[in-house]
Amino acid sequence: MATETHPDLDRIQRWMQTLILDQGTCEEAIASERAQAEIPAGQARTVVLPSKTLSSFERLNIYREMYLLRMEEALSSDYPALKHFLGEEEFMRMVERYVEVYPSRSYTLNRLGDRLPEFLATLDDLPKKDFCHQLARLEYGLTCIFDAAETAPLKPEAVQAVPPDAWEHARLKPVEAFRLLEFDYPVSQYLGFVDEENPAPRLGRKKTWVVAYRNNYRVRRTDLTQPAYELLSALAADKTVGDAIIGVMIRKWRPAVKQNQLFEWFRDWMADGLFQAVEVRTA
Amino acid sequence: MANNRWGYPDLGFGIGLRSVHFEHILKNNPVIDWFEVLSENYMDTGGRPLHILDQVAERYPVVLHGVSLSVGSTDPIDFDYLKKLKALGKRVNARWVSDHLCWTGVTGLNTHDLLPMPYTDQALRHTIERVRNIQDFLERPIALENASTYLEFSASKWPESEFIAALAEEANCGILLDVNNVYVSSFNHGFDPKKYIDNIPKDRVVQMHLAGHTNKGTHILDTHSDYVINTVWELYRYAHRRLGGVATLLEWDANIPGFDVVHGEALKARQFREQEDKQMPAPELEEIPAYGD
Repeated sequence: MATETHPDLDRIQRWMQTLILDQGTCEEAIASERAQAEIPAGQARTVVLPSKTLSSFERLNIYREMYLLRMEEALSSDYPALKHFLGEEEFMRMVERYVEVYPSRSYTLNRLGDRLPEFLATLDDLPKKDFCHQLARLEYGLTCIFDAAETAPLKPEAVQAVPPDAWEHARLKPVEAFRLLEFDYPVSQYLGFVDEENPAPRLGRKKTWVVAYRNNYRVRRTDLTQPAYELLSALAADKTVGDAIIGVMIRKWRPAVKQNQLFEWFRDWMADGLFQAVEVRTA
Repeated sequence: MANNRWGYPDLGFGIGLRSVHFEHILKNNPVIDWFEVLSENYMDTGGRPLHILDQVAERYPVVLHGVSLSVGSTDPIDFDYLKKLKALGKRVNARWVSDHLCWTGVTGLNTHDLLPMPYTDQALRHTIERVRNIQDFLERPIALENASTYLEFSASKWPESEFIAALAEEANCGILLDVNNVYVSSFNHGFDPKKYIDNIPKDRVVQMHLAGHTNKGTHILDTHSDYVINTVWELYRYAHRRLGGVATLLEWDANIPGFDVVHGEALKARQFREQEDKQMPAPELEEIPAYGD
């Protein structure tokens, strides 16, 4: 039997986890209030045995060091362009701060970065904070598209089956892997530079609109004009094709939206597999 | 022929399914005995990985291997996780499901590391109870792997091999014997790896793992980033002598080379097994430089 002097399993686990998550030195972590609530600092060296080559604290440090590296690896896999923009050191600093506030609570590391965009918006000392926030929003959106449920895109026969005079009242339902995004910076353009491993210029403020979606299991994104974005937004909000088009056409755009432009958009969106169903509701 | 009490088959020599090999596998249909799949990578996605896994599972036997069961944790069992694991196992007709003897987090958090257990009576009772509950929910026995560890608790009363053997007997679960992990932990803690294997009950072992590691001088890290070293191959040969034909899997998770290199490394295990079965000297292996050198 373990003697009474040894801490219980739950105490050992809470203590060790506290040390792993604490970002100070091992000594600082052991002396922290939270760690001492489990095991007094004076007893810490006796909890973990030293090896022939490493002290107790050095052995604990192996786990502590690996923790941050693992978190960084997971976040850089979801936010490669953000890492590219910030550089390795600044990105690692950001990771340390992020996981302190939002440590993983999921069985999968795929969810670790879910709150990164909103976290970045709170970091006043982050270089180019607004740009970083919006770039992270785009990358998070693409991650969601990657994991979204698969829905078969609308087949041409289903489109052809809708009588021409019924389109006005038809509704188009986007596929599950579909997301519309609006930005104050050309972050999609920045991501393009990173994807193609081209040097990325610093990009100034500029309104941009993007549709992200999946086609044949590949994540894709397309830049949109504002009227195209608004038309797609209206369709995604379950407006009829007629109402969505009227909503766009009654506004004055520069350059103006022409009728053939509308046809081109719909043709491209159908070809890209953005919709899963067309529904014609009778009155 | 199966040596374990559940009749789980000796699937032969497999490798871990990794995304860098997806295209190669789908395009070339390589001849390989089986794949092991990291469960968590497919439980929460409806995208390409799951689509590819479905195709792989149609062509090859698949085994699920998890890293988040946290069987030794004092947190409540995560039944939402188990529900998804069970569904995935059914979807891909998993031959069996495995995870690690470890804990990954408490107080609702997950460090995503395979953290070491103190091998105490209390920990044993606690883990037996949890394994039983997990198996009841999954409606199948699970196999637990000995993880590589980098520290030992003074509270431990049991050697790890005896703890895992007692756990398997009492909870009626299987063992996934990771031969590389036996070696890594024996180096880090100074025990005899052959004695460790001697303590493992033969009829509980459903699978073996092999992998490369990183020797830091003062300790070894289980990085799965290189070829298997000769000492580990020798230990594998010893394990085969003790345990008989057991499904064997080669893990390679960092600096992953092409499919054929990984598969070639897995097939070395066949050579060792055949030589051992014929009582011949072990094949001489060339000293292989660290991958990427």
